[in-house]
Amino acid sequence: MNAPNRYELYVLEEGERPVEVTEDTKIPNAATIKIVKQDHTLANLLRSQLLGMPNVLFAGYKVPHPLHPYFLLKIQTDGSVTPAAVLEKACTDLITTLATLESKFKREFTMNTVEGGVQEDAYGVPTSGAQWESGGTYVDLG
Amino acid sequence: MQTSGTSEPIVRIRDLKKNSVNFVLQNVDLAFANSFRRVMIADIPTVAIDMVEIETNTTVLPDEFIAHRLGMIPLVSTACDEAMRYTRDCTCEVRCQYCAIELHLNIACHEAGRTMDVTSNMLDVVPTSKPGAYGNFEQDDGGEELAKRVENFGHPVGKGDPDVPPILICKIRKGQELKVRCIAKKGLAKEHAKWSPCAAVSFEYDPHNKLRHTSYWYEYDARAEWPLSENAKEEEPPRDDLPFDYNAKPNKFYMEVETDGSLGAQEVVQKGLQELQTKLANLIVGLKPEPPEADVFQGGGGGALGGQPNGHEPAQTGGWGAPSPATSWSPTRAGGGGGGGWSPTRAGGAPTGAGGWGSPGTGGGWGAPAGGAGGSTAGSWGSPSSGQGWGSPSQQQNGWNVG
Ligand SMILES: [Zn+2]
Repeated sequence: MNAPNRYELYVLEEGERPVEVTEDTKIPNAATIKIVKQDHTLANLLRSQLLGMPNVLFAGYKVPHPLHPYFLLKIQTDGSVTPAAVLEKACTDLITTLATLESKFKREFTMNTVEGGVQEDAYGVPTSGAQWESGGTYVDLG
Repeated sequence: MQTSGTSEPIVRIRDLKKNSVNFVLQNVDLAFANSFRRVMIADIPTVAIDMVEIETNTTVLPDEFIAHRLGMIPLVSTACDEAMRYTRDCTCEVRCQYCAIELHLNIACHEAGRTMDVTSNMLDVVPTSKPGAYGNFEQDDGGEELAKRVENFGHPVGKGDPDVPPILICKIRKGQELKVRCIAKKGLAKEHAKWSPCAAVSFEYDPHNKLRHTSYWYEYDARAEWPLSENAKEEEPPRDDLPFDYNAKPNKFYMEVETDGSLGAQEVVQKGLQELQTKLANLIVGLKPEPPEADVFQGGGGGALGGQPNGHEPAQTGGWGAPSPATSWSPTRAGGGGGGGWSPTRAGGAPTGAGGWGSPGTGGGWGAPAGGAGGSTAGSWGSPSSGQGWGSPSQQQNGWNVG
């Protein structure tokens, strides 16, 4: 009855800030960044991208509780850039990669158009008429 | 050293069908490939039946059972980020033609001695009715969503196509009847797996297990006892004279995206990549000191409906809750608490693991080709540190997933 709406897992509330940067008081050039309404999909992607960057000494994330829809990203840099700046760089680099991949996919899709005329059943197996009732024409995905 | 800078990602499609695509993804790291996989499974909106009002159910299956099965039926959701609104973002009170699709099912068996199939093909899309007490105002704010819909938007996948087998909902005999009214909504698989466009996403890397991300159980000789996957042909077999390279990282990924038909495979792949970019773009905006209000990108780039009134409390205003005496619906009510005649189709709830999204009709839950590391990726949900390191940081430090 009083369960929260499921979409609160991934939709920001009114006025809710998506990101909160807290600088670390004890470790130099480090910050903990709270990213709200996102999960492992984004967190692990960023973590791995950050670790590949030369200025980054540490990058790690955690989802403190599975029912709390946010994650914490901890970043320490070598001091030449701030953690927030390096995170922004990681995001733009990833967007570049994704955009490249998207256009490459687009090209691949136009080159491999779905073979025309061939009827497929629900398993993607070309059929020669409605013979699905016999069952068992499963494609070998091997 | 990863995806940025030196090397661009490479993709090669090995096989493309309407509802499945098999491709090889290269020059990206494990986390990237895994996030791509996850986003296709859980972050692309589709349309699915979300509420069911049961008028008559004299079948052998209880109401909740039927409601759940109806929810799992894939509905054509082409371009649904532009063709439909979330009810929470809509201007309407309860629901309207922009944020809901109504389907009716009314079937009875009068024939003796025969078992009759009630299938998804018997679901008819009807104009969305105006709900209950406030039902008489004209709900039309001139939205462009309707113009962007394909002809069979919201229809059960495969309806009208003799080559696609319909999905069995239940079986009835003489004297049994099923009469229900369904409301389909747009949603995300994070809320319930029925909204996932994907039936199965297989994901494999390192078919020879050179990276030793998995360890095989064996009697005498793992290599003799475990079959190699098809993908092993794509890579050099390991040489016994070379020492183990503990710095090596996976770089080549074999994926197959199979959809349940609600979206085509191509659309799922492209929307997935766009959604990842949207997430990152929103993060960049959020990192700016004081972002201008309402500058947050909406998923998929379409429908910036943010900040519209009323979105958030769609429930229980109209006449849906209590069975209104005006209507002649007499729901054979399921347990469902105070929810009136609506059996939520989300029985079973959380979309954890494989359970639930074995999409009806398609052979849900097919894993990856057997063998090598990676294996099937049926359950993408839990923390990515399950399994053999795929998509997952393999080490941990004080609870931090570090590389
Ligand atoms: Zn509406």
